[in-house]
Amino acid sequence: MSCPHCSPEPRPKDAGIQVSTLEHPVVALVGNPNVGKSSLFNNATGLHQEVRNAPGTTVEMLSGVWKSAGVELFDLPGTYSLLAKSPDEQVTVDALAGRLDRQPSLAVVLLDATSLPRSLYLLGQVARTGLPVVAAMTMCDVAAAEGRLPDAARLQDVLGIPVVAMDGRKQPAELAVAVKGALTGDAHVRGVRGTPLPADATLEEQLADAQSLFVWTEDVQRQLGTPADTHAVTRSDRIDRVLLHPWVGIPVFAFLMWALFQLATTVAAPVMDWAESLVTGPVTTAVSAILSAVGLGGGLIEGLLVDGILAGVGTVFSFAPLMFIMFLAIAILDDSGYLARAAFVADKAMRAIGLDGRALLPLIVGFGCNLPALAAARALPDARQRFVTAIVVPYTSCAARLTVYILLATVFFGPNAGSVIFLMYVLSILMVIVAGLVLRKVTGAGVNRQPLLMVLPAYQVPRPLVLLSEAGKRTWGFMTGAGKVIIITLTVVWLLLAVPVRGGYTVGDVPIEDSAYGATAEAIAPVFAPAGFGNWQSASALMTGFVAKEVVVGAFAQAYAVDEPEDAAEPGTLGDKLTATFDASSGGHAGAAALAFMIFVLTYTPCLATLAEQWRMLGPRVTLAATGTQIAVAWLLAVAVFQLLKLVW
Amino acid sequence: MSLQQCRTQQPVRVREVDLDDPLRAAELGLRPGTVVRVTQRGAFGGVVLAVGGARVAVDARTARHITVEPVEV
Repeated sequence: MSCPHCSPEPRPKDAGIQVSTLEHPVVALVGNPNVGKSSLFNNATGLHQEVRNAPGTTVEMLSGVWKSAGVELFDLPGTYSLLAKSPDEQVTVDALAGRLDRQPSLAVVLLDATSLPRSLYLLGQVARTGLPVVAAMTMCDVAAAEGRLPDAARLQDVLGIPVVAMDGRKQPAELAVAVKGALTGDAHVRGVRGTPLPADATLEEQLADAQSLFVWTEDVQRQLGTPADTHAVTRSDRIDRVLLHPWVGIPVFAFLMWALFQLATTVAAPVMDWAESLVTGPVTTAVSAILSAVGLGGGLIEGLLVDGILAGVGTVFSFAPLMFIMFLAIAILDDSGYLARAAFVADKAMRAIGLDGRALLPLIVGFGCNLPALAAARALPDARQRFVTAIVVPYTSCAARLTVYILLATVFFGPNAGSVIFLMYVLSILMVIVAGLVLRKVTGAGVNRQPLLMVLPAYQVPRPLVLLSEAGKRTWGFMTGAGKVIIITLTVVWLLLAVPVRGGYTVGDVPIEDSAYGATAEAIAPVFAPAGFGNWQSASALMTGFVAKEVVVGAFAQAYAVDEPEDAAEPGTLGDKLTATFDASSGGHAGAAALAFMIFVLTYTPCLATLAEQWRMLGPRVTLAATGTQIAVAWLLAVAVFQLLKLVW
Repeated sequence: MSLQQCRTQQPVRVREVDLDDPLRAAELGLRPGTVVRVTQRGAFGGVVLAVGGARVAVDARTARHITVEPVEV
């Protein structure tokens, strides 16, 4: 469990929050996905929120104090049913039963005015848990535009519980009053009988249970007299005629993917540079000045602070805008209603590897940069899908790896460099597919050929303030969660580079080959001998590549003590030196060894920041197991390719 | 006929949902007796349905396994 909020011992800060809210009764917010639940939650709780993972899962649960109602509000994952079909839905079931946290005293159930029968079904299930219920009717504007807005007062009479028609963009004052009243009164839904089914109920029992509620929802619907379907062509239908058109839908989807890819690379790059320069520029200068002033300048402490810790902080800061941009872009696609359509458009392609159509987004973003791809993966609605996607993302060949391919392909394959680089991308896609298929077997995700049955929310204009604040919160979560791992690792790398192991150098002023880093690379190098690149320079470049792939070329240059080439396609003396080293370590099969090295770079690990984010999403155990497996597979692939090519070339 | 064969905008009544696990389909309103209509066809045979006021996207294979009959409006 990576999330600090779900560690078994509460931290003092959390304990403080819990004491202050202990006297508040808990109210659970339940509703279908995409019916304005998070918007209601944000309006009710404002800034008094806390995000945490439900124990033992990657499912996020939000809680916050709703001051005007005097309660603690739990925002539970959106679901269509309490007969859970996914880990996310199970969290909602468990939370309502009081198995995850404190037992809720009341449930606020959202009713989608455009799709009342489906919402009433969930309301009936919640009522069966025995909890008092208050209903909040959302999407009223859309339903009114279609001429079939249910009468809230009439619904209140029929159901026998408070029903409040919501305007999603305002403070839910009326709802607060209803909740307060219901906590002391008797808000039990009229006409719903029975208790929740046990967890081990058979499908037949579940169907019979559901059927009895369908009868009830149809009865309520009849008493209300609102038409079920006006046969009107809605605004969303007209948009769908374009965006889901068999010939137009896929190009539009492809264009949006391209735009996301651009955001993760070209657009983010200058902002990332600026954010990093803020730390490496003014902040570093200030720290150096302070250290000099107190007499610690120029020494080991300055090195540790500036080149170790501050460099790490700079890296975290440089990634923060990238994550923010991606969180925001995905949130806009989600909020507008397009993300669900994307799942429909890409369903056929992704189904083959047992993934949701939406998983194509993170995978494509991954070819730009793996880290924001994980940000996009967080938006997937199913925990198993998030799990599989987060693990296969590192196989998408990010732009940073391209610099390594360009250098090696130019040096070793000359006129065929382009084809070799293309081959790396083909291999990358193959690895994603194979890893997806293997994980499908391992996790059981998608084995049953789950049908695609997806509710498409009505299109709406994305709400900028809500989305900005959500993206900000998620970015902050990345900086504090993954940031720690990044800073600690970079500090360790600095220490290894600074400490001399031979040659009588002083600490902090030592050539790489005589540092602890160089000695480690030398110790690791023999492992790569069967793959033809068992030289310390390659090992050192791979160690650096573990931190970030874009510095592998620089690491080679540093190892040979030559200037880093301005353009990796014109390697100059670095090329000659690389050729000599690879020739020696491969016994004259330099080309085969170079290809094996490129394949290893593609497959061994993503960069440190991606690993840190995986750690935060999947927990240490899964991340370490996945990384270990990837390194082993990468080594086997590199060895196999080298040994085979050696025979013929 | 199957859902995949019916005309766009034609109201049809669901007769049979032949899925391994028909529960979620039923919960979303796709169960015998309900009237639905296809509002949009996607690439690869997927369809979008109007179920009550909601729109539900269904993949080609699932659409083939849902039997419907035409109804008069």
